[in-house]
Amino acid sequence: MAEPAWNAAYDNLPKRVVVTLFVVVALLVTLAPFFILFGNSLRPSDEFMSENAGLWPSQLTFEYYADVLSTNGSTFRILLNSIIVTTATTIVSVTTGCLLAYGLARLRLPFRLSTVIGLTFLVVRFYPKIAIAIPYFVLMRDFGLRDTYAAVVIAHVSMTLPVVVWLMLSFFEDFPRQIEQSAMMDGCGLLRRFFSIVLPLTTPAIATAALLTAFFSWNEFLFASAVGPLNAKTLPVAISAFITDKGTVWGQMSAMGTIIVLPVMVLALIAQRYLVRGLTAGAVKG
Amino acid sequence: MQRAIWASADWLEERIGERGILAAFMVPAIVIVVVAQFYPLFYSLYISFVDWTLTRSMEPGGFVGLANYAKMGTDGVLQQTWGRTIWFALASTGASTILGFVLAYLTIGEGRTLRIARTILILPMVIAPVAVGTIWRMMLSARVGPINEVLRGIGLPAPDWLGDPTLAMISIVIIDVWEWTPFVFVIFAAALSSLPSEVLKAAEVDGATSWQILKMVILPMLAPVGLLVVMFRLLDALLTLDIVFTTTFGGPGFATHTLSFWIYQQGLRYFNISYSAAISWATLIGCMVMVGALLIWRARISRWQGA
Repeated sequence: MAEPAWNAAYDNLPKRVVVTLFVVVALLVTLAPFFILFGNSLRPSDEFMSENAGLWPSQLTFEYYADVLSTNGSTFRILLNSIIVTTATTIVSVTTGCLLAYGLARLRLPFRLSTVIGLTFLVVRFYPKIAIAIPYFVLMRDFGLRDTYAAVVIAHVSMTLPVVVWLMLSFFEDFPRQIEQSAMMDGCGLLRRFFSIVLPLTTPAIATAALLTAFFSWNEFLFASAVGPLNAKTLPVAISAFITDKGTVWGQMSAMGTIIVLPVMVLALIAQRYLVRGLTAGAVKG
Repeated sequence: MQRAIWASADWLEERIGERGILAAFMVPAIVIVVVAQFYPLFYSLYISFVDWTLTRSMEPGGFVGLANYAKMGTDGVLQQTWGRTIWFALASTGASTILGFVLAYLTIGEGRTLRIARTILILPMVIAPVAVGTIWRMMLSARVGPINEVLRGIGLPAPDWLGDPTLAMISIVIIDVWEWTPFVFVIFAAALSSLPSEVLKAAEVDGATSWQILKMVILPMLAPVGLLVVMFRLLDALLTLDIVFTTTFGGPGFATHTLSFWIYQQGLRYFNISYSAAISWATLIGCMVMVGALLIWRARISRWQGA
């Protein structure tokens, strides 16, 4: 097997069995809630009333999806909102974040200003977001942006920028200077170097940053609910409104839950390598 | 077309120089973060010192000094909330850190099966926290939830997970652990795979058993990363909102009111924004002290290890 010999978990056969069992149980516990969610999104409504309905529905129905996705329903609009907000956030955050990171990596500023700016960005990660939700709401009201896409997008961009900047900064700093220098010899200006040489070579990092940003924006609840309660309502805000405990709405709730969860799951499985790199950036090296 | 764009790029560069362009690169991101993060942050400090209830007035009222902070002393709900939130954060952080490390340690290796297992184990942390809450509200439903269905099936009592005041809080810990163990796991998995193999080999050659290697080589080497993990977990757990919002909505009664939930209720439900800003800043200062202490401790450990 491929496990390293120093791993105490694989010393002998009985241990191996116990360890494997433990990991299998962990996998089951991880996956079971997803299984229940998907099952409930396809379960006929009368089965929700019964105590012995079985973990997976005996018959499948697609009525909740039809309901949620029908173009004249309000949920479809919410789905569109989510897509718009996520796309806009990802584009703006990755673009402005890359530019800032490149500036920080290449510009020699006095008083170690680059380090200061970099660290200031990091601070955003370290205070409770709830502290600014309400003032942000007041600010957006004063700007006349309350309940618009812009209000939600700006909030999401400002919260994802630190991650994008720190991710890209380490890539730009590690970027081989010789490549840029030889381009400079050929008379390539800074803008040409950046857009036609540096950026194309850092696409894996950009993909990682985009993935993390998109996931964050797609999932974010607090700011979306504070500044986009009606017109700019996103899926997480909508699902949090199912606060009634009646079994009757479980079908719709599960269908909406599946729509929130499934794209992220699929993307996470496909782009696992990028995702892990992004999630662990900084923590392990630093 | 492209030619024209590059020509204007060159022209621009001649006008403002490379440093000018690099400086211009930095402007948009800085503006966004200052406007959307730092301005609201300090604005909230300001409103924590004035009298402002949004239902009474659209504009901030007069300066009231520390009155909003003093009010925290007489807020019975808040006082219960502190203790509950700290208890919750410690329980969730402890459980998820241990579980995450064990899982990372047990799944080291390059095999295909292990890689797939590792990917699956990450999933709970990437999906929306509100969806996690929603899913678990169904899982834990007293009458028709699958967990109680299974418990009844094997002849055990089927409790009212989210309806009982004590169990509700425990349920929220369980949900938080389910959601965030993957975070601990993914960090430790990366840290374990980047351990210097020469050191581990050397210990092996010297005749150390795998338990000794774990205890005396691996764990000390992972301590700095471990502290970082604990810090992030504590920070997130102290501010948990989404799960409470979608499972119990603070109930039954006030049984699962966490700090963030109470701040949210005060600010965006009752619109006591001055008071909610005051609690926020008290929380923020508390968090900063904690982060500072943990970072200093981490620096000590790193220096001691000569890393």
